[in-house]
Amino acid sequence: MIEMLAPYALMLVVAAVPTGIWRAGAVVLSRSISSQSLVFEWVRFVATALLAGVVAKLLANPSGALALAPDWGRLGAVVAAFAAFLAFRRSVFAGVLTGETILILSVYFTQP
Amino acid sequence: MTSTTPSAVDDNKGQHWGAALEGIKDALRLPAWVVAAALIGVGPLAQAVGHPIGAAMASTVFVWAGPAQVLFYGGLGSGMAYPALAFVIGLSSMRFLPMTMTIMQMLRRPNQSILTQFAIAHFVTVTVWAECLRRLPDMRVDDRIPYFFGFGVTCLVLSTFSTAFGFVLAGAVPIHFAAGLLFLTPVFFTCSISAGARDLPDWLAIGMGAVLEPLALHFAGPEFDLLVTGLVGGTVAFMIKMNRRTRVGTVG
Repeated sequence: MIEMLAPYALMLVVAAVPTGIWRAGAVVLSRSISSQSLVFEWVRFVATALLAGVVAKLLANPSGALALAPDWGRLGAVVAAFAAFLAFRRSVFAGVLTGETILILSVYFTQP
Repeated sequence: MTSTTPSAVDDNKGQHWGAALEGIKDALRLPAWVVAAALIGVGPLAQAVGHPIGAAMASTVFVWAGPAQVLFYGGLGSGMAYPALAFVIGLSSMRFLPMTMTIMQMLRRPNQSILTQFAIAHFVTVTVWAECLRRLPDMRVDDRIPYFFGFGVTCLVLSTFSTAFGFVLAGAVPIHFAAGLLFLTPVFFTCSISAGARDLPDWLAIGMGAVLEPLALHFAGPEFDLLVTGLVGGTVAFMIKMNRRTRVGTVG
Protein backbone atom coordinates (compact mmCIF):
# COMPACT_ATOMS: atom_id res chain seq x y z
CA MET A 1 0.00 0.00 0.00
CA ILE A 2 2.73 2.45 1.06
CA GLU A 3 4.79 1.44 -1.96
CA MET A 4 1.85 2.12 -4.24
CA LEU A 5 1.54 5.63 -2.86
CA ALA A 6 5.27 6.42 -3.04
CA PRO A 7 5.20 7.88 -6.59
CA TYR A 8 2.37 10.23 -5.57
CA ALA A 9 4.07 11.33 -2.33
CA LEU A 10 7.37 11.89 -4.13
CA MET A 11 5.65 13.97 -6.80
CA LEU A 12 3.92 16.10 -4.17
CA VAL A 13 7.04 16.73 -2.06
CA VAL A 14 9.71 17.04 -4.75
CA ALA A 15 7.69 18.75 -7.53
CA ALA A 16 4.37 20.19 -6.33
CA VAL A 17 5.63 21.90 -3.17
CA PRO A 18 8.69 23.63 -4.71
CA THR A 19 6.39 24.95 -7.47
CA GLY A 20 3.42 25.87 -5.27
CA ILE A 21 5.63 27.85 -2.89
CA TRP A 22 6.03 30.62 -5.49
CA ARG A 23 2.33 30.83 -6.26
CA ALA A 24 1.43 30.95 -2.57
CA GLY A 25 4.25 33.40 -1.90
CA ALA A 26 2.88 35.70 -4.60
CA VAL A 27 -0.55 35.66 -2.92
CA VAL A 28 0.95 36.58 0.45
CA LEU A 29 3.15 39.32 -1.03
CA SER A 30 0.31 40.78 -3.12
CA ARG A 31 -1.94 41.16 -0.08
CA SER A 32 0.37 43.78 1.39
CA ILE A 33 0.79 45.81 -1.80
CA SER A 34 -1.78 48.31 -3.10
CA SER A 35 -3.09 47.28 -6.52
CA GLN A 36 -2.19 50.76 -7.79
CA SER A 37 1.43 50.21 -6.76
CA LEU A 38 4.13 50.50 -9.40
CA VAL A 39 5.59 47.28 -7.99
CA PHE A 40 2.97 45.36 -10.01
CA GLU A 41 3.95 47.14 -13.18
CA TRP A 42 7.63 46.34 -12.61
CA VAL A 43 6.78 42.73 -11.83
CA ARG A 44 4.78 42.46 -15.05
CA PHE A 45 7.81 43.60 -17.08
CA VAL A 46 10.04 41.13 -15.23
CA ALA A 47 7.60 38.31 -16.01
CA THR A 48 7.38 39.34 -19.67
CA ALA A 49 11.17 39.45 -20.14
CA LEU A 50 11.50 36.17 -18.27
CA LEU A 51 8.96 34.50 -20.54
CA ALA A 52 10.73 35.76 -23.67
CA GLY A 53 13.86 34.26 -22.12
CA VAL A 54 12.08 30.92 -21.67
CA VAL A 55 11.22 30.92 -25.39
CA ALA A 56 14.81 31.77 -26.37
CA LYS A 57 16.09 29.00 -24.12
CA LEU A 58 13.68 26.39 -25.53
CA LEU A 59 14.71 27.30 -29.08
CA ALA A 60 18.46 27.59 -28.50
CA ASN A 61 18.76 24.45 -26.34
CA PRO A 62 15.98 22.19 -27.63
CA SER A 63 15.25 18.90 -25.93
CA GLY A 64 13.97 15.58 -27.23
CA ALA A 65 12.61 15.43 -30.75
CA LEU A 66 12.82 19.21 -31.20
CA ALA A 67 16.63 18.87 -31.14
CA LEU A 68 16.30 16.95 -34.42
CA ALA A 69 15.06 20.08 -36.18
CA PRO A 70 17.88 22.00 -37.88
CA ASP A 71 18.82 25.41 -36.37
CA TRP A 72 17.43 27.20 -39.44
CA GLY A 73 14.20 25.25 -39.06
CA ARG A 74 13.58 26.38 -35.46
CA LEU A 75 14.69 29.97 -36.05
CA GLY A 76 12.94 30.24 -39.42
CA ALA A 77 9.74 28.77 -38.00
CA VAL A 78 9.55 31.21 -35.11
CA VAL A 79 10.39 34.22 -37.34
CA ALA A 80 7.76 33.12 -39.88
CA ALA A 81 5.25 32.61 -37.06
CA PHE A 82 5.83 36.16 -35.85
CA ALA A 83 5.54 37.55 -39.39
CA ALA A 84 2.27 35.67 -39.97
CA PHE A 85 0.99 36.80 -36.59
CA LEU A 86 1.56 40.45 -37.62
CA ALA A 87 0.34 39.96 -41.20
CA PHE A 88 -2.97 38.47 -40.06
CA ARG A 89 -3.77 41.38 -37.75
CA ARG A 90 -2.20 39.90 -34.62
CA SER A 91 -3.72 36.45 -35.02
CA VAL A 92 -2.14 33.97 -32.58
CA PHE A 93 -3.73 31.12 -34.50
CA ALA A 94 -2.19 32.17 -37.85
CA GLY A 95 1.20 32.53 -36.18
CA VAL A 96 1.13 29.12 -34.50
CA LEU A 97 -0.13 27.38 -37.65
CA THR A 98 2.58 28.94 -39.85
CA GLY A 99 5.38 28.20 -37.38
CA GLU A 100 4.27 24.62 -36.84
CA THR A 101 4.01 23.93 -40.59
CA ILE A 102 7.53 25.17 -41.24
CA LEU A 103 9.03 23.35 -38.28
CA ILE A 104 7.37 20.01 -39.06
CA LEU A 105 8.44 20.26 -42.72
CA SER A 106 12.03 21.13 -41.71
CA VAL A 107 12.24 17.95 -39.64
CA TYR A 108 10.43 15.84 -42.24
CA PHE A 109 12.85 16.80 -45.01
CA THR A 110 16.10 16.70 -43.03
CA GLN A 111 15.59 13.46 -41.14
CA PRO A 112 16.33 10.29 -43.14
CA MET B 1 -40.17 38.91 -13.40
CA THR B 2 -42.08 41.94 -12.13
CA SER B 3 -40.24 42.11 -8.80
CA THR B 4 -36.90 43.75 -9.38
CA THR B 5 -34.72 42.38 -6.62
CA PRO B 6 -34.79 38.63 -7.38
CA SER B 7 -34.44 39.13 -11.11
CA ALA B 8 -31.47 41.45 -10.53
CA VAL B 9 -29.83 38.73 -8.45
CA ASP B 10 -30.61 36.14 -11.12
CA ASP B 11 -29.16 38.35 -13.84
CA ASN B 12 -26.04 38.69 -11.81
CA LYS B 13 -25.75 34.93 -11.45
CA GLY B 14 -26.38 34.50 -15.14
CA GLN B 15 -23.60 36.92 -15.91
CA HIS B 16 -21.16 34.99 -13.73
CA TRP B 17 -21.97 31.77 -15.54
CA GLY B 18 -21.78 33.65 -18.80
CA ALA B 19 -18.30 34.88 -17.97
CA ALA B 20 -17.21 31.38 -16.90
CA LEU B 21 -18.57 30.03 -20.18
CA GLU B 22 -16.65 32.71 -22.11
CA GLY B 23 -13.50 31.56 -20.30
CA ILE B 24 -14.17 27.93 -21.27
CA LYS B 25 -14.83 28.93 -24.90
CA ASP B 26 -11.73 31.12 -25.16
CA ALA B 27 -9.59 28.36 -23.67
CA LEU B 28 -10.94 25.80 -26.15
CA ARG B 29 -10.27 28.12 -29.08
CA LEU B 30 -6.54 27.35 -28.88
CA PRO B 31 -4.71 27.93 -25.56
CA ALA B 32 -6.03 24.84 -23.74
CA TRP B 33 -4.99 22.63 -26.68
CA VAL B 34 -1.50 24.15 -26.60
CA VAL B 35 -1.01 23.46 -22.88
CA ALA B 36 -2.53 20.01 -23.32
CA ALA B 37 -0.17 19.26 -26.22
CA ALA B 38 2.79 20.47 -24.16
CA LEU B 39 1.86 18.11 -21.33
CA ILE B 40 1.51 15.05 -23.57
CA GLY B 41 5.29 14.75 -23.16
CA VAL B 42 5.06 14.26 -19.40
CA GLY B 43 3.24 10.94 -19.84
CA PRO B 44 6.06 9.01 -21.55
CA LEU B 45 8.60 10.39 -19.04
CA ALA B 46 6.56 9.12 -16.09
CA GLN B 47 6.09 5.79 -17.83
CA ALA B 48 9.85 5.52 -18.39
CA VAL B 49 10.63 5.77 -14.65
CA GLY B 50 7.95 3.18 -13.82
CA HIS B 51 5.42 5.46 -12.16
CA PRO B 52 1.70 4.66 -12.57
CA ILE B 53 -0.53 6.58 -15.00
CA GLY B 54 -2.46 8.03 -12.05
CA ALA B 55 0.68 9.67 -10.67
CA ALA B 56 1.44 11.23 -14.06
CA MET B 57 -2.10 12.65 -14.21
CA ALA B 58 -1.89 13.81 -10.59
CA SER B 59 1.36 15.64 -11.39
CA THR B 60 -0.51 17.72 -13.97
CA VAL B 61 -3.26 18.51 -11.46
CA PHE B 62 -1.00 19.34 -8.50
CA VAL B 63 2.23 20.63 -10.04
CA TRP B 64 0.55 22.25 -13.05
CA ALA B 65 3.84 23.40 -14.56
CA GLY B 66 5.20 21.59 -17.63
CA PRO B 67 8.92 22.35 -17.13
CA ALA B 68 8.77 21.33 -13.44
CA GLN B 69 7.09 18.02 -14.34
CA VAL B 70 9.61 17.34 -17.10
CA LEU B 71 12.45 18.10 -14.67
CA PHE B 72 10.89 15.84 -12.06
CA TYR B 73 10.49 12.72 -14.20
CA GLY B 74 13.63 13.47 -16.23
CA GLY B 75 15.62 13.96 -13.01
CA LEU B 76 14.30 10.73 -11.48
CA GLY B 77 15.30 8.97 -14.69
CA SER B 78 18.86 10.27 -14.49
CA GLY B 79 19.08 9.29 -10.79
CA MET B 80 19.27 12.78 -9.27
CA ALA B 81 19.13 13.06 -5.46
CA TYR B 82 15.67 14.16 -4.24
CA PRO B 83 16.78 17.36 -2.42
CA ALA B 84 18.83 18.51 -5.43
CA LEU B 85 15.89 17.76 -7.70
CA ALA B 86 13.48 19.69 -5.47
CA PHE B 87 15.90 22.64 -5.49
CA VAL B 88 16.23 22.73 -9.28
CA ILE B 89 12.45 22.43 -9.67
CA GLY B 90 11.99 25.29 -7.20
CA LEU B 91 14.32 27.49 -9.25
CA SER B 92 12.57 26.58 -12.50
CA SER B 93 9.21 27.55 -10.99
CA MET B 94 10.35 30.95 -9.73
CA ARG B 95 8.67 32.54 -12.75
CA PHE B 96 5.32 31.95 -11.04
CA LEU B 97 6.09 34.62 -8.46
CA PRO B 98 5.89 37.65 -10.81
CA MET B 99 3.22 35.98 -12.96
CA THR B 100 0.93 35.18 -10.04
CA MET B 101 1.41 38.67 -8.62
CA THR B 102 0.18 40.27 -11.86
CA ILE B 103 -2.83 37.96 -11.92
CA MET B 104 -3.61 38.71 -8.26
CA GLN B 105 -3.54 42.43 -8.97
CA MET B 106 -6.34 41.96 -11.51
CA LEU B 107 -8.41 39.38 -9.63
CA ARG B 108 -8.30 40.31 -5.99
CA ARG B 109 -11.36 41.88 -4.39
CA PRO B 110 -11.95 43.49 -1.03
CA ASN B 111 -12.64 40.88 1.69
CA GLN B 112 -11.65 38.01 -0.56
CA SER B 113 -10.52 35.02 1.51
CA ILE B 114 -6.92 33.91 1.25
CA LEU B 115 -8.15 30.43 0.31
CA THR B 116 -9.88 31.83 -2.78
CA GLN B 117 -6.64 33.60 -3.62
CA PHE B 118 -4.61 30.41 -3.22
CA ALA B 119 -7.11 28.66 -5.50
CA ILE B 120 -6.70 31.41 -8.10
CA ALA B 121 -2.92 31.20 -7.78
CA HIS B 122 -2.88 27.46 -8.36
CA PHE B 123 -4.26 27.85 -11.87
CA VAL B 124 -1.59 30.34 -12.92
CA THR B 125 0.62 28.89 -15.59
CA VAL B 126 2.43 30.63 -18.41
CA THR B 127 -0.33 30.16 -20.97
CA VAL B 128 -3.09 31.17 -18.58
CA TRP B 129 -1.05 34.17 -17.50
CA ALA B 130 -0.23 35.40 -21.00
CA GLU B 131 -3.82 35.04 -22.21
CA CYS B 132 -5.45 36.55 -19.13
CA LEU B 133 -2.99 39.44 -19.07
CA ARG B 134 -4.42 40.77 -22.30
CA ARG B 135 -8.05 39.72 -21.84
CA LEU B 136 -8.82 40.56 -18.20
CA PRO B 137 -8.13 44.33 -18.21
CA ASP B 138 -10.96 45.00 -20.71
CA MET B 139 -13.39 42.91 -18.67
CA ARG B 140 -15.82 43.95 -15.92
CA VAL B 141 -14.21 43.34 -12.54
CA ASP B 142 -17.04 41.00 -11.45
CA ASP B 143 -16.65 38.87 -14.58
CA ARG B 144 -12.93 38.36 -14.20
CA ILE B 145 -12.87 35.63 -11.55
CA PRO B 146 -15.49 33.34 -13.17
CA TYR B 147 -13.79 33.91 -16.53
CA PHE B 148 -10.40 33.04 -15.04
CA PHE B 149 -11.65 29.84 -13.40
CA GLY B 150 -13.50 28.80 -16.56
CA PHE B 151 -10.32 29.32 -18.55
CA GLY B 152 -7.95 27.75 -16.00
CA VAL B 153 -10.05 24.68 -15.19
CA THR B 154 -10.55 23.93 -18.89
CA CYS B 155 -6.80 24.06 -19.52
CA LEU B 156 -6.08 21.85 -16.50
CA VAL B 157 -8.72 19.21 -17.22
CA LEU B 158 -7.79 18.88 -20.89
CA SER B 159 -4.10 18.65 -19.95
CA THR B 160 -4.72 15.96 -17.35
CA PHE B 161 -6.25 13.80 -20.07
CA SER B 162 -3.47 14.62 -22.52
CA THR B 163 -0.87 13.53 -19.94
CA ALA B 164 -2.67 10.18 -19.71
CA PHE B 165 -2.85 10.06 -23.50
CA GLY B 166 0.94 10.59 -23.72
CA PHE B 167 1.49 7.86 -21.12
CA VAL B 168 -0.47 5.35 -23.19
CA LEU B 169 1.00 6.54 -26.49
CA ALA B 170 4.64 6.66 -25.24
CA GLY B 171 6.76 7.22 -28.31
CA ALA B 172 4.39 5.97 -30.99
CA VAL B 173 4.26 9.33 -32.84
CA PRO B 174 6.37 9.95 -35.99
CA ILE B 175 9.44 12.02 -35.16
CA HIS B 176 8.45 15.18 -37.08
CA PHE B 177 5.13 15.34 -35.25
CA ALA B 178 6.91 14.80 -31.94
CA ALA B 179 9.14 17.78 -32.81
CA GLY B 180 6.03 19.77 -33.74
CA LEU B 181 4.46 19.02 -30.36
CA LEU B 182 7.54 20.30 -28.53
CA PHE B 183 7.62 23.39 -30.74
CA LEU B 184 4.04 24.32 -29.81
CA THR B 185 5.03 25.87 -26.49
CA PRO B 186 7.71 28.30 -27.75
CA VAL B 187 5.74 29.31 -30.86
CA PHE B 188 2.54 29.84 -28.89
CA PHE B 189 4.31 31.90 -26.22
CA THR B 190 5.94 34.06 -28.91
CA CYS B 191 2.58 34.93 -30.44
CA SER B 192 0.72 35.12 -27.15
CA ILE B 193 3.06 37.61 -25.42
CA SER B 194 3.30 39.62 -28.64
CA ALA B 195 -0.49 39.83 -28.72
CA GLY B 196 -0.37 41.37 -25.25
CA ALA B 197 2.27 44.00 -26.14
CA ARG B 198 0.80 47.50 -26.20
CA ASP B 199 3.68 49.98 -26.35
CA LEU B 200 7.41 50.29 -26.88
CA PRO B 201 8.46 49.24 -23.35
CA ASP B 202 6.38 46.04 -23.73
CA TRP B 203 8.19 45.18 -26.96
CA LEU B 204 11.50 46.07 -25.31
CA ALA B 205 10.83 43.66 -22.45
CA ILE B 206 10.11 40.88 -24.97
CA GLY B 207 13.10 41.70 -27.19
CA MET B 208 15.51 42.04 -24.30
CA GLY B 209 14.33 38.80 -22.75
CA ALA B 210 15.08 36.96 -25.99
CA VAL B 211 18.48 38.63 -26.51
CA LEU B 212 19.66 38.54 -22.89
CA GLU B 213 18.92 34.86 -22.27
CA PRO B 214 21.95 33.43 -24.14
CA LEU B 215 24.21 35.99 -22.42
CA ALA B 216 22.73 35.22 -19.02
CA LEU B 217 23.12 31.50 -19.67
CA HIS B 218 26.80 32.08 -20.35
CA PHE B 219 27.49 34.32 -17.35
CA ALA B 220 24.99 33.13 -14.73
CA GLY B 221 24.69 29.43 -15.62
CA PRO B 222 21.65 27.26 -16.38
CA GLU B 223 20.04 27.64 -12.93
CA PHE B 224 19.93 31.40 -12.71
CA ASP B 225 19.88 32.52 -16.35
CA LEU B 226 16.11 33.08 -16.52
CA LEU B 227 16.05 34.95 -13.22
CA VAL B 228 18.83 37.31 -14.42
CA THR B 229 17.14 37.70 -17.81
CA GLY B 230 13.82 38.63 -16.23
CA LEU B 231 15.25 41.01 -13.65
CA VAL B 232 17.60 42.86 -16.01
CA GLY B 233 15.32 42.97 -19.09
CA GLY B 234 12.21 43.71 -17.07
CA THR B 235 13.79 46.43 -14.96
CA VAL B 236 15.26 48.25 -17.97
CA ALA B 237 11.90 48.16 -19.77
CA PHE B 238 10.17 49.37 -16.60
CA MET B 239 12.61 52.28 -16.22
CA ILE B 240 12.07 53.33 -19.82
CA LYS B 241 8.32 53.23 -19.26
CA MET B 242 8.62 55.41 -16.12
CA ASN B 243 10.95 57.80 -17.90
CA ARG B 244 8.51 58.25 -20.80
CA ARG B 245 5.61 58.73 -18.43
CA THR B 246 7.44 61.46 -16.48
CA ARG B 247 8.35 63.26 -19.69
CA VAL B 248 4.80 63.10 -20.98
CA GLY B 249 3.71 64.34 -17.56
CA THR B 250 5.99 67.40 -17.65
CA VAL B 251 5.08 68.31 -21.22
CA GLY B 252 1.36 67.83 -20.70
